[in-house]
Amino acid sequence: MSDYVAGVSSDAKKSPKRVVFVTRRTSAHVRSQDEEQVQTYPEALFRAALAVQVLVIALVLMSLFFNAPLEGIANPTVTPNPAKAPWYFLGLQEMLHYFPPVVAGVMIPGLLVVALVVIPYFNINIRPDGVFLKDRRRNLTIFYIIAGGLSLFLWFFDVYVALAPTLAVAGFLLIAAYSAPQSTSRFRRYLVSRPVSWWIMTWFLLELTVLTVVGTFFRGPGWSWVLPWRS
Amino acid sequence: MDEGRKPKPDEREISRRDFFAKLGIGSLGLAGVGTLSFAYQYMSPNVLYEPSPIVNAGNVEDYSMNSVTMHPAAAIYVVRLPEGIFSLTMICTHLGCMTAWKPELGIIACPCHGSRFSEEGQKLAGPAPKPLPWLKTWLSDDRDVMVDRSTHIPPYQFVRI
Amino acid sequence: MQSRISTNLERLRASRLWNSIFRSGSGTSTLHRSMAIQQNVFLHILPTKVRRRMLNFDATWYLGTLTLGTFLVLVITGILLMFYYHPSVPQAYFDMKDLRYVVSSGLFLRNLHRWSAHAMVLLAFAHLFRVFYRGAYRPPREFNWVVGIILLLVTLLLSYTGYLLPWDQLAFWAITVGSNISSAVPFVGQKIHFLLLGGNLVNANALLRFYVLHCVILPLAAVMLIAVHFWRIRKDGGLYVQQSEPVAQCAEETAGPATTEETAEEVMAKP
Repeated sequence: MSDYVAGVSSDAKKSPKRVVFVTRRTSAHVRSQDEEQVQTYPEALFRAALAVQVLVIALVLMSLFFNAPLEGIANPTVTPNPAKAPWYFLGLQEMLHYFPPVVAGVMIPGLLVVALVVIPYFNINIRPDGVFLKDRRRNLTIFYIIAGGLSLFLWFFDVYVALAPTLAVAGFLLIAAYSAPQSTSRFRRYLVSRPVSWWIMTWFLLELTVLTVVGTFFRGPGWSWVLPWRS
Repeated sequence: MDEGRKPKPDEREISRRDFFAKLGIGSLGLAGVGTLSFAYQYMSPNVLYEPSPIVNAGNVEDYSMNSVTMHPAAAIYVVRLPEGIFSLTMICTHLGCMTAWKPELGIIACPCHGSRFSEEGQKLAGPAPKPLPWLKTWLSDDRDVMVDRSTHIPPYQFVRI
Repeated sequence: MQSRISTNLERLRASRLWNSIFRSGSGTSTLHRSMAIQQNVFLHILPTKVRRRMLNFDATWYLGTLTLGTFLVLVITGILLMFYYHPSVPQAYFDMKDLRYVVSSGLFLRNLHRWSAHAMVLLAFAHLFRVFYRGAYRPPREFNWVVGIILLLVTLLLSYTGYLLPWDQLAFWAITVGSNISSAVPFVGQKIHFLLLGGNLVNANALLRFYVLHCVILPLAAVMLIAVHFWRIRKDGGLYVQQSEPVAQCAEETAGPATTEETAEEVMAKP
């Protein structure tokens, strides 16, 4: 082993250089070549420890000032009104208000998990180009069919809570469709360059947030609308 | 192993190595299936210490005409209409919340997801997939209303009084 | 070696006992520091070096680290709470009252456990979205993304099973509603419901099952998956460095397909 030590730096600070095979149709553009590296111990570990310490301090402070809820002993004969699941399931509970359990409780979460799992296995989610920059006509048609169908479906079942974010995202997609990549507006340039996976995930994030917030704050007895500041 | 030296192999012939590999995988699969069925049997309790499904809801004369009476402890409604008497479950068919009779509105309402039912159990509004089921009801020799909560019957089978 | 503390620390690290435990021994050379990671059963799943850029707060927002932090807090407070908790009906609820009014610091520990649980769910979701928007799910990291999704599900299940344990009204009805969703599964729904609750009703059996899931099975699964999750970061080439989306065709860039930059970098990223 010691035969090979001589002449080898034990502190290779640079990443190894990589050879790129560039085809004729692309032009290589290397953004960064030499990445400076630091030791995990102590630099990264101590920073991680510091981050966890800050987190623990915040949690301890919260625990000192706010008590965890504890209601009366479980009583199978009285359902509290409203009976709410933990906050992270309230988006689902809001869906359960509109659709039968097999749809809202089994199909929607099941499809969601499958959709999340397969994201990195499909090239469409990895391609970085803006939705309407390539195959513009085909993509516009697909967009109109999906956005229209989804909106009609939600409208048909009176799911206005989920319809609003869908329409908002569709609106921004329309702006993206009718903006040039050379637009003078920075915002428009940003929208144009977003790939399709970005739009879907943003739609999902928006739906999740809106449904959870509605379920947590704006639903009262019998799952009717309430205003949180008037209780 | 050495393909070249072998004489023409019979189609049905398998090597000893293949045979043992198949035997091993097969027995592992068998053991896996056995383990699964054992786990399933072990995890489903054979004796339940749950309340009896048959309850006595009191004397039939205590129910006045055109009334809906809640028995939250037994999770049943006993309804008396001119056609007769019957009982419904109080447990919502949506997700198992305890519904309640709202006398001022004349409906049965679920607090969880806003389902509403008529006094005959028919769904009026909300996400519930099915009407509230009718429960097997009969009168005992002492004219007590007996309800079997585990047995659903088709609706509109009144117990005549 | 200015202060007395560091002098004593150095003496300790040079001692025979220390060297019998930590093979990397004393010293501050790069080799020693690499060995401190490499020769430690808990740390060797981490890379010995990281890119300096990835230590900046905006690179990751430290969301993964913080999620792990909440998990550690939950393990510690959870074990402590187990000393005063009986998973039986109705004793479980009385134990909650005891923790609140009788046990020293019981209220604080329960609060900490509860708020950390909420924080963990929130941070896990934030981590998911952050990783997505940075594009860190892309090959060769696709399997670690899948592990992350499973970890999110385990986190949700941990939080949900823990929700029943106080045996109060909130717990009982949230679990009644939640477990009834499982009976909506076509064909086998009733069976799943029965197995999950160990009966037809949310009762003593259900409490015990949720307790075992919450305190043994799910934490074990979480620990193993977290280990895989961290180890895969190293195996997949360290934390993802690129920005979320490369700049598509902008006004500055004249000709050439929009994917120029990414293509080159994707090729580079291949091992």
